[in-house]
Amino acid sequence: MSQELDFQFKHENCKRAVLLFHGMTGSPFEMKKIGKALFDADFDVYCYCLPGHGTSPISIKAVRWQDWYLESSAHYRELSKNYDEVFLGGLCMGAVLALCIAMEYKDVKGILGLSTTLYLDGWTIPWYNFLMPIGLHTILRYYYSFPEREPYGLKNEALRRKIAALQKKNTVALDNYPMSCIYELLKMSRFARHNMSKVLSPVLLIHSKEDDLTSPKSAEFVYKHVSSENKEYIQLENSYHLVVMDNERDFVFEKCISFLNTLSNSKNSKEREFAV
Amino acid sequence: MIGFFKNIGSYPASLLLIIFSNILLIIGFGIGKLAMWKWENAVKFFAVFSVVMSFLISAYFIGILWFSIGGLISGNIIHSAIFTVFLFLPFIIGHFATYKKIQFYSDIQILTLIISLVVALSFV
Repeated sequence: MSQELDFQFKHENCKRAVLLFHGMTGSPFEMKKIGKALFDADFDVYCYCLPGHGTSPISIKAVRWQDWYLESSAHYRELSKNYDEVFLGGLCMGAVLALCIAMEYKDVKGILGLSTTLYLDGWTIPWYNFLMPIGLHTILRYYYSFPEREPYGLKNEALRRKIAALQKKNTVALDNYPMSCIYELLKMSRFARHNMSKVLSPVLLIHSKEDDLTSPKSAEFVYKHVSSENKEYIQLENSYHLVVMDNERDFVFEKCISFLNTLSNSKNSKEREFAV
Repeated sequence: MIGFFKNIGSYPASLLLIIFSNILLIIGFGIGKLAMWKWENAVKFFAVFSVVMSFLISAYFIGILWFSIGGLISGNIIHSAIFTVFLFLPFIIGHFATYKKIQFYSDIQILTLIISLVVALSFV
């Protein structure tokens, strides 16, 4: 099932590609709209289901963050053989993954960090969060799953109802966050925080002021600690965590496209036609 | 057993906290081990269960720290040293645990709790 969720949008002879990463317990489904917008802006777009995702809730408990990293960096290497310019983009955990890849591969042309999750400190995190270290560092992490609850990362209520219904059927994402998965995300986030200065690629960070899962502290940390000369941080006023689906998604797409276009040296399709 | 309950007021509160949290944790991990595969999709049950277990582990840690510090102050360094080992064991087990071998690590966790209960009862 996981491979069925992957998507690729390709043009003919296009020399620039964007590799997108979905969020924790999510699937490529949540990246489809931004993928389509980038495709319409003359980028080839790829998004693969991360290991442990898109199958059963059990399989996600058995993966480690290194599995996500190794498979994603393999996809990046594969794309960089076929394209002159490869950009990375990710939502939530996917943004951390994109940053981790850029730490190792200095030729990453640019990074889109959407709702980057380095800390789980959003306003929907439950009051008993102070017990989390006990849960995370004992075998309890394999028992506990944090149930997905309202607002499902969305400020848009109509969309929230739609996503809630889909999530109950487990068709687009899991309806809970297994603590073992949170444990792996936090380990990857710690690795990313310690190595953030190794990121040299241009970065665009987009984060909601009212993000329900992770506060703007994460994006601010990235902005402050990356070594990139070209870095930009945009704070959204009318969205929650799922910025690629929520109220300001068109604004997010527009900003991402214009950021990538400023970095790209490749010709878009119209320029290619003109050259022919 | 009857003697234990008759004289319950004479034992240090820290020791009682260790004993009772220990018993509840053994029962809890036992239930968790059995329920985990049968009710895999009972997310809400496991959410509440894990929060209760985290509180119990906190109580167990507080009991051990309290008893160990009390032992250090009163010169019973060996008592303190023995219990301090039990303080780290859940984290050591948690560090090595994997989902594929969770049943095995649950057994190890229960076994160490039983040993710590026996040690705690030896002070009664």
